[in-house]
Amino acid sequence: MSQRAADAVFQGLFSLTDIRYILRTTAPQHKLSDEEKQKVEKALASVEKQIAILRGELL
Amino acid sequence: MSIRCGGNCNVEARMRDELAINIDPIQVGGRLTPEAMKAIIAWGDGYSVCDNCRKPFRLDYIENPPLKDFHADVAEWLGMAQARTVPGARRGFQQVAEAYVEKGDPVLIGSLAHYTSYLSIEGRCGVIREIPKTEDNHITAEAAAERIEDVIREFGTAPKLLYIDQVDYQFGNIHDVKGIAKVAHQYDIPVLCNGVYTVGIMPVNGKDLGVDFIVGSGHKSMAAPAPSGILAATEEGAEQVFRTTKSSGDLTGRTFGLKEVGILGCSLMGAPIVGLLASFPTVRERVNHFEGELSNSKLIVEALRSIEGTKILSEYPRRHTLTRVDTTNSFDVVAQTHKKRGFFLSSALSKKGITGIIPGATRIWKYNTYGMTRAQAEYVAATYLEIAETNGLAVNK
Repeated sequence: MSQRAADAVFQGLFSLTDIRYILRTTAPQHKLSDEEKQKVEKALASVEKQIAILRGELL
Repeated sequence: MSIRCGGNCNVEARMRDELAINIDPIQVGGRLTPEAMKAIIAWGDGYSVCDNCRKPFRLDYIENPPLKDFHADVAEWLGMAQARTVPGARRGFQQVAEAYVEKGDPVLIGSLAHYTSYLSIEGRCGVIREIPKTEDNHITAEAAAERIEDVIREFGTAPKLLYIDQVDYQFGNIHDVKGIAKVAHQYDIPVLCNGVYTVGIMPVNGKDLGVDFIVGSGHKSMAAPAPSGILAATEEGAEQVFRTTKSSGDLTGRTFGLKEVGILGCSLMGAPIVGLLASFPTVRERVNHFEGELSNSKLIVEALRSIEGTKILSEYPRRHTLTRVDTTNSFDVVAQTHKKRGFFLSSALSKKGITGIIPGATRIWKYNTYGMTRAQAEYVAATYLEIAETNGLAVNK
């Protein structure tokens, strides 16, 4: 059982969900403010981190 | 090429709200919060919320996820004694009708009500009597009082139940629920307030309104998946609609604990209930910012009004974000000669990334601005003006 891998899957999906929500609130032009760009940066960093965890845990 | 939801399934990924501004009157209040989206990822499996169901084996007693607290919090938030979840508001209507209406019983209903209210009465073989709307499309306490007297004359008894929409789905008008409830209670008629367009959108308090039941919709106004909804009741009303089973099997002697008859035990599991639960903190807070929503609505209403020939059919100034508009003398005039005929408007909106009005509608149509950012509201207002001007309509700026 890899709790770490399961956590990483959920955390990664949750971070992508944050980006999805920003797509919604900025539709249709998706011109992001500085604050929104920061949020996307943070979410992407989280996704990358979770992917690294998954590589380590499962491959 | 569209993205599909994996494997062999033939379901496209729906990206309507990611790619466009949605003004569909029935969709905007039910769009999920990020919290609900995440909760559904984690809890979407069928009976997921039953992991920790223990005696007395009922949904509203489950502590993880915190459904027990949720039920109590919703009741308190709505100023009612008790609340239950239901699979859509229509099931709430049905549950109340089932408790109060017998064959041949008269029931009063506001004439702007949704068809499901009517059907819930029909399902009990009740007799529907409507409260007429005024010329300006409101249901008033005076009209309710007159109709109660009419029913007493016709049936020799007062109506067994009265349904009134707090905000109706046709015009988005606010009706005098408090005044109507006061009149109804003078005749001991229980009052069901249809809060499908208000619970989760704007502040609602059953105690202030003086109603016996409030029905809300999760998927229409509480940022939850369908089917979901709320039925809240006063203590007295709860005794009727949330009654527990008393039956037993004649051969087996089986009994069924605290299961509630009206909803056949447990109502919502999986995605609908966790979505409702996860969105609730945001929903509870967002109703306090309804003025901001009205401000966005006003921006678009005024843009439409400035297009010569356009009429707002809903009450004005607007007190709700759902609005009915008549563009027979503006956009429909364009449609008469446009090569796309009546589809020119939805097509032009679609090209600009605005979706949600019925394709082909250029006469009387509805839209809802709920949930837009200010920038999105400004964009929608500007787009309507641009479409009008591009097609030769006069705009009074």
